Amino acid sequence: MKKLLLATLLLVSSVVFAANEGVMSLRSQSLDVQDPAEKLKNYPKENLQQPINYIQQPPLIPHHIRGYEVDRKTNKCLTCHSFKNFKRYGATKISVTHFINREGQALSDVSPRRYFCLQCHVPQVKAKPLVENTFEPTGALAE
Amino acid sequence: MKVNRRDFVKAQAASAAAVAAGISLPTSATNLITSTADTEIHWDKAPCRFCGTGCSVLVGTKNGKIVATQGDPESPVNKGLNCVKGYFLSKIMYGKDRLKTPMLRMTDGKFDKNGEFAPITWDQAFDIMAEKWKAAIAKTRNSDEMPPVGMFGSGQWTVFEGYAAVKLMKAGFRTNHLDPNARHCMASAVGGFMRTFGIDEPMGCYDDLEKADAFVLWGSNMAEMHPILWTRLSDRALSAPHVEVAVLSTYKHRSFELATNGMVFTPQTDLAILNYIAHYIIESGNVDHEFVKKHTNFRRGTTDIGYGLRPEHPLEQAAANPGKGSSTPMTFEEFAEFVSDYTLEYTEQLSGVPAENLLRLAKLYADPKINLVSYWTMGFNQHTRGVWANNMCYNIHLLTGKISKPGCGPFSLTGQPSACGTAREVGTFSHRLPADLVVKKKAHRDIAEKIWKLPEGTVPAKNGYHAVLQNRMLKDGKLNVYWTLCNNNMQTAPNMNEEGLPGYRNPEAFIVCSDPYPTVTAQASDLVLPTSMWTEKEGAFGNAERRTQFWYQQVPASEGSKSDLWQMVEFSKRFKVEEVWSDELLAKSPEYRGKTLYDILFRNGQVDEFPSSDFKGRMNDEVDHFGFYLQKGLFEEYATFGRGHGHDLAPFDTYHKVRGLRWPVVNGKETLWRFKEGSDPYVEAGTGYQFYGKKDKKAIIFALPYEPAAESPDEEYNLWLCTGRVLEHWHSGTMTRRVPELYRAFPDAVVFMHPDDAKDRGLRRGDEVKVISRRGEINSRIETRGRNRVPKGLVFIPFFDAKQLVNRLTLDATDPLSKETDYKKCAIKIMKA
Amino acid sequence: MRALKKFYQILCKPAVHYSLGFLTIGGFVAGILFWGAFNTALEATNTEAFCTSCHEMRNNVFEELKPTIHYSNRSGVRATCPDCHVPHKWVDKIARKMQASKEVWGKIFGTISTREKFEAKRLHLAQNEWTRLKANDSLECRNCHEFDSMDFTLQAERAARQHSSSLASGEKTCIDCHKGIAHELPDMKGVEGYQ
Repeated sequence: MKKLLLATLLLVSSVVFAANEGVMSLRSQSLDVQDPAEKLKNYPKENLQQPINYIQQPPLIPHHIRGYEVDRKTNKCLTCHSFKNFKRYGATKISVTHFINREGQALSDVSPRRYFCLQCHVPQVKAKPLVENTFEPTGALAE
Repeated sequence: MKVNRRDFVKAQAASAAAVAAGISLPTSATNLITSTADTEIHWDKAPCRFCGTGCSVLVGTKNGKIVATQGDPESPVNKGLNCVKGYFLSKIMYGKDRLKTPMLRMTDGKFDKNGEFAPITWDQAFDIMAEKWKAAIAKTRNSDEMPPVGMFGSGQWTVFEGYAAVKLMKAGFRTNHLDPNARHCMASAVGGFMRTFGIDEPMGCYDDLEKADAFVLWGSNMAEMHPILWTRLSDRALSAPHVEVAVLSTYKHRSFELATNGMVFTPQTDLAILNYIAHYIIESGNVDHEFVKKHTNFRRGTTDIGYGLRPEHPLEQAAANPGKGSSTPMTFEEFAEFVSDYTLEYTEQLSGVPAENLLRLAKLYADPKINLVSYWTMGFNQHTRGVWANNMCYNIHLLTGKISKPGCGPFSLTGQPSACGTAREVGTFSHRLPADLVVKKKAHRDIAEKIWKLPEGTVPAKNGYHAVLQNRMLKDGKLNVYWTLCNNNMQTAPNMNEEGLPGYRNPEAFIVCSDPYPTVTAQASDLVLPTSMWTEKEGAFGNAERRTQFWYQQVPASEGSKSDLWQMVEFSKRFKVEEVWSDELLAKSPEYRGKTLYDILFRNGQVDEFPSSDFKGRMNDEVDHFGFYLQKGLFEEYATFGRGHGHDLAPFDTYHKVRGLRWPVVNGKETLWRFKEGSDPYVEAGTGYQFYGKKDKKAIIFALPYEPAAESPDEEYNLWLCTGRVLEHWHSGTMTRRVPELYRAFPDAVVFMHPDDAKDRGLRRGDEVKVISRRGEINSRIETRGRNRVPKGLVFIPFFDAKQLVNRLTLDATDPLSKETDYKKCAIKIMKA
Repeated sequence: MRALKKFYQILCKPAVHYSLGFLTIGGFVAGILFWGAFNTALEATNTEAFCTSCHEMRNNVFEELKPTIHYSNRSGVRATCPDCHVPHKWVDKIARKMQASKEVWGKIFGTISTREKFEAKRLHLAQNEWTRLKANDSLECRNCHEFDSMDFTLQAERAARQHSSSLASGEKTCIDCHKGIAHELPDMKGVEGYQ
């Protein structure tokens, strides 16, 4: 079954390939022509919570974060997602992994090395992928 | 180093719960998939594919595909963490449009420079390449000139690939026209190290991040560009309240979020600020005179050195000493007088940074009790005075003796995963050979030729064309065949409209591009070769702290693709030495007659010394194809260059077992802080410090002035343009924009602009605009908010977007010493599209 | 000195040349004129242009306002400084204005003349506003964002949840959750909800 599926996939992809024999990068035009600029894509107020692809993938942010301050003075994300506050706001609880410091010890609060949330967690605009990605999750995460 | 699932779970005590939630544990519960064969993921280590931090990741594979990745908890660099790009490594190889076959521009089945791309076989690809190469080489074979054959490589190449390229080009084709994209990235750092210390790469290491009392970021947005180092810096800064974080940039970015002293300065005036600090250190009586006397010399650098443009450019004509890096000795007192021009008032007025912020910064450097690390990346390096900026930063560390000690030192951060390991250490630059040797010195060429078992005179004595010059020479018809691998230079090299594109499309030039994906560069080429990437091949990277890290091939190469290493070594079989070398050289080594470059370079008894049986991993396409452990042979031969000369590498097999080691690795021990007695085995007892890259073992403090940028805003082109990266995308976006999550996190490039500047031009957020420089224009959109807060008079546009080729705008002005482009400063204007 | 004495004497003497009627009406008119001028002057200080005429406001809080939703948004309805920071009721306005004279004092004596000094005072300054808004049940917010006019079904889920519960019950007022929406926050250590 799997082989059949793979074969079909390959067939389909080779057809696609044959249809486009040129070399097209992520541009829509040849290099001599100026592409028009894509419209600004907004981060929607709310987004569907997307399933993770593998266990250690940081969850994506399912909402906009305009004006959310995360700096040395304050961390807006934690006002909803911290252990203390998540229940009250119905937010996703920050993972326990975030309490582990560099030495592997558990702290009583979020490790400062995890302080800047946006290094790993990012919001998403509504847009079709530029190019299809054929990565497939496995095991319990497979669709 | 293989990790089975059990080891992996053990190592992951911290996240065991998460692991158990998804990847099955041995259990008989009926609602779980219980067959190990179905659920077992094979885990092994590999360094991250992206930046110079050199995080280690665990790669999970199943049925020949990557199914998961995660931060490697055992890695001292990242201790289990990744940034968002690193977490999505699993997907970078699976963009649907991976190239599957070589493609040649053809008309009626024949190569035609103006034809359409059509698939051909690898054999056909090498046929046409060999034909073009041989024709080009024939032009100069018996002359003193190097053949018009060029290659543009990468700081993202594996060490093996870089080394094979050096051999193939410099010894095989006997041309030094080989340069890496690291030229655009680290060349000024290299120039700075060589000029001040006589030996490349940082003396300190990442351990400084946990030990310093103060951090100064000079033109480095570490929060976005080296996120995992930023986690370590944040950890230190937020857990020790006394720690100061000074951030200097030409606009506010995410690193300012942690700053205790954030400074936005007028472009180019970092030079003045550096001299002011030197002046303050001296004036406030904080010079470590003993250190300075024992370990440094003072020299006055030649000034007015031009801007690395074409020689006929008015700026070059106007310069008194274009391209000169010479210097003359001076005394401490003369140096003190030299920097005394840079008073607080003058520097404030020039830089636009308030005096009290400058003073606060200077005090950090001057205070002998404060352990301080300076970090920089492209702000210093992509600078028409980049080498100077590097030198001047070393000045202030040397004056105070704040160097080579735990928590203390200047630290140049590299952009690419193996800018150090491959581009610099292997010496893939047009003027270099492995282990800091240079082609211009006979003694150095002799060493290389001896190790390579080649006749004297094989390696040409002249510097080859550097990156920016290669594009100019393609355009001028002086470089006729050109192979670009593991980079996207048509999107990233400066001044694409006037130099890059005309060069590639010059009818006299034949351009080959090897890449996993169709890039802008591929689009501009004549022949495109599909390349295996990252864990589709065995590899080695060297990160910014001198850490060499290895990985095994984890999955079969994608359909139709071959690694760059395979491509270069296989291509060498196409050349009989008589077709390449001069008769004169051949006469010196008659035993090589009739042999191929492959025989001479890669079957020399060294590179092919290790049998296939030495290979202990799961798969290795090169071992299977060539019949010997190619990577091991290349590495061991390469390592002989540096062993015993301050660049010692451990034995090949060791690196597959450990999470990297920082060279010099002497007696099995890595080196954390170089040049200091006790931590560096090369420093003699009783000396304290030895900067042994220089003959007298002293570092140089250079007197260098502020000089203006090549192009500044004027009445018409009234804005500064600064270009760079964003966290979510790696360089030109070839890999990251094919990961849907990363694409959606930052979909298209925008013009970050001050709201008042937008208002003054009748523009608002989201407006489509034309961004125009003297060289070209692009369409983009205005962004007046978001992560970057630019001051009035400056805009920032990232360069990841293939639709918005920022390099149509950038000027090909380079540092005249390092030949690195200044991507941070040129003049533009913006109007509604 | 003598001139001053003479002037004082004139002031004290009863009017000789003007009728009482003229004086009463004249005084009334003068009063109106004065009152009008006072209010005009007051209103002039109640504009964004006035607020941002000193660099302390312009380079700190106003610069911070620009990227926020209260400066630029979908419908173009925007808040200027006094919309949020000056009460609309006259008595409260005068009280706030008298308070503001202290800010002018701050300007003259340079207590917030640099970014660093401003940052050092930021918590104190912010707390003044939070306290005021807390005490008047976020009146200046509600001048535009009327609770009765909110359609929860059009709000984001997490917003609707809070507005229909905590805000509706009066347990919380706007400023409790919406701190730092128009300017950067001060160091929030110890501030409720920010632990």
